[in-house]
Amino acid sequence: MFRKILVANRGEIAVRIIRACKEMGILTVAVFSTADRDALHVSLADESYCIGGPSVTESYLNMGAVITAAVVTGSEAIHPGYGLLSENSVFAALCDQCNIVFIGPSAESIAMMGDKNEARLAMIKANVPVIPGTEILADPDEAERRACDIGYPILIKARSGGGGRGIRLVKAKDELRRNFQAAAAEAEKAFGDPGLYLEKYLTGVKHIEMQILADKSGNVICLGERDCSAQRRNQKLMEESPSVAIDDAARAELVGITTAAVKSIGYHNAGTIEYLYDGKDGFYFMEMNTRLQVEHPVTEMVTGIDLVQWQIRIAYGLVIPFTQQDIELKGHAIECRINAEDPEHDFRPQCGTIETLHIPGGPGVRFDSAVYRGYSIPPYYDSMIGKLIVHSGSRSEALRKMHAALCELVIGGIAHNADLQRRILKDKRFISGKYDTGLISSMILKPEVRTDVK
Amino acid sequence: MLNKDSFKNPELWLEKHNKNKLVGERPETLPSIPEELWRSCPACRKPSLADAVTDLLEVCPQCGHHFNLSARKRIDITADEGSFIELFTVVGERDVLKFPGYKDKLESAKAASGEEESVICGKCTIGGYETVLCVMEPAFMMGSMGRVTGERITMAFEMAVSSELPVVVFCASGGARMQEGMFSLMQMAKTSGAVKFHSLAGLFYLSVITNPTTGGVTASFAMEGDVIIAEPGALIGFAGPRVIEQTIRQKLPEGFQSAEFVLSKGFLDAVVQRKRLKTFITSMLKAHS
Repeated sequence: MFRKILVANRGEIAVRIIRACKEMGILTVAVFSTADRDALHVSLADESYCIGGPSVTESYLNMGAVITAAVVTGSEAIHPGYGLLSENSVFAALCDQCNIVFIGPSAESIAMMGDKNEARLAMIKANVPVIPGTEILADPDEAERRACDIGYPILIKARSGGGGRGIRLVKAKDELRRNFQAAAAEAEKAFGDPGLYLEKYLTGVKHIEMQILADKSGNVICLGERDCSAQRRNQKLMEESPSVAIDDAARAELVGITTAAVKSIGYHNAGTIEYLYDGKDGFYFMEMNTRLQVEHPVTEMVTGIDLVQWQIRIAYGLVIPFTQQDIELKGHAIECRINAEDPEHDFRPQCGTIETLHIPGGPGVRFDSAVYRGYSIPPYYDSMIGKLIVHSGSRSEALRKMHAALCELVIGGIAHNADLQRRILKDKRFISGKYDTGLISSMILKPEVRTDVK
Repeated sequence: MLNKDSFKNPELWLEKHNKNKLVGERPETLPSIPEELWRSCPACRKPSLADAVTDLLEVCPQCGHHFNLSARKRIDITADEGSFIELFTVVGERDVLKFPGYKDKLESAKAASGEEESVICGKCTIGGYETVLCVMEPAFMMGSMGRVTGERITMAFEMAVSSELPVVVFCASGGARMQEGMFSLMQMAKTSGAVKFHSLAGLFYLSVITNPTTGGVTASFAMEGDVIIAEPGALIGFAGPRVIEQTIRQKLPEGFQSAEFVLSKGFLDAVVQRKRLKTFITSMLKAHS
């Protein structure tokens, strides 16, 4: 096994990876920015090195600094976590050239799935149903023509977008031209690539994603689904597994499609294929995430498989010893993302010192976080400060457990979204499991919530 | 506050795995960074991926500093592929003054640049427009202008007159070559005369000033273009900033003699980034064709 791994991330995911390494007897190297000197991952790792200033481009995205730290410390592998360098094919290739194992798929796989157009074509080739849409369009005239065929409302998507970014909704024909031009300029600026395509906008859909693990010998195992339909502005807030909307037959079908698709592209390591499910006609491929995901714990809880440890073992070259038949989703798991943002004031991000902290416990309660009492949240990074995960025998028990756990969670000194999460849990649509991606926006827009907003 | 001392080391041994179930060979070599992978910028001193620098045609992705380009590389990125035909490869006696050490200097300049002189002249098409192209080689004695340099440029302009072609010159020079004394200073008048004949014939001359362009070249053909453009940050002047500071005993303003400074004083028509240069030159040639 690897003797030493560098963790190229921060926050709860860096802590999560360091914990996995410690259990496996692997030494860990943390890297951090000048704003993160007091961060938990820095204290927890065996060695820690400052690699640059507060902004991520100076530190966590600074490929030269990360690689140098790995070389100097003699780290055999780099775990990129999620976000930051995790889906950067240039970085993955660079690790390769420097004789460092990138814990994730090959640079080619990352590049292929990162190009949304190429990913779509690969999925069509693998017989995966895709959302009605187009290839990359040359100009607004062509877009108008093709949009007529598909029908409004329609989404304009950037080839290099992803994770909810680079998407524009167009409701009618007269808005298309203006939006197309603006989206091209925006994509050029944000991703350095103005390539755009159109996709039918599906409403009232569920966001269902399938977790896979694939080793370098070609074994692909699907670890079931996650229902991530509770989203606000394309950002997930709450995830659960299994999904109420999917019965055993549908699950078996999805597992089959997903496994075949992943095999067809020669993928290895952990990955997720995201689908939209319209509740009747079926599933449409949305995108593939070539990394560990934020919500991976719900899958870990129901399958009992430690995804981070398996990422490391697969990267080392180990063959997965279990088969698809061994995978069984036991009970029900729910995750709530605890974000340091104020739902009462338009989700304004919060920074400041955590004055009091109480983390709920008991059987089936897990809190993945990097905060501690006295820790100051720096203003430079993502607002997610923790993930509360519960696991129980049934969905109704899991809902109760989450309710109780959220009520017990105390994070004093900053505003956060635990109360909003409790409101979601109490919503009839959520309880029934028949909620779709429009759930949270319909709740937030209710007038009684917004009384204090001028 | 939690710190490194807050936590104990679990001191667990590495987990065992069955060797039979391993895919591929694990190299026993340690991680290392191949030298050719990174380039460090002389201006901001930050390292960048070599590929990223190459993609931008030798420009620092972080601070925008334009690295010096060899004349051959410059021709590669400017002339249409395969269109450049080198002309006027004349090399005459250069060390007429028997200047001490000049012969050795010439030999080492040849070795460093792989060229016979500090300028390469020829004919090519740029964006489809037939053009006479002269490119100075900064690695050859800092692009200094000797008798042969002046002769080649003069011949290029004379040919442009007879074939009714525009001229594009990429300047990069420390000025007249002191080892040739008066013979090199005379090249200023000679090249200026050739430019004038070209101009009288109603033909177009575009001068592109790159880093650095000083002395006798600034004082002659570099500043005689119908249109004069420069690359960002290029040093453009007659005497260098250090000489001026020592002479007038005053601190010079920030950015003095930079392309942007010279542009603001009205001596340039535009400052154009390297990535956009070919498009810009093409549009100029089109406008004057």
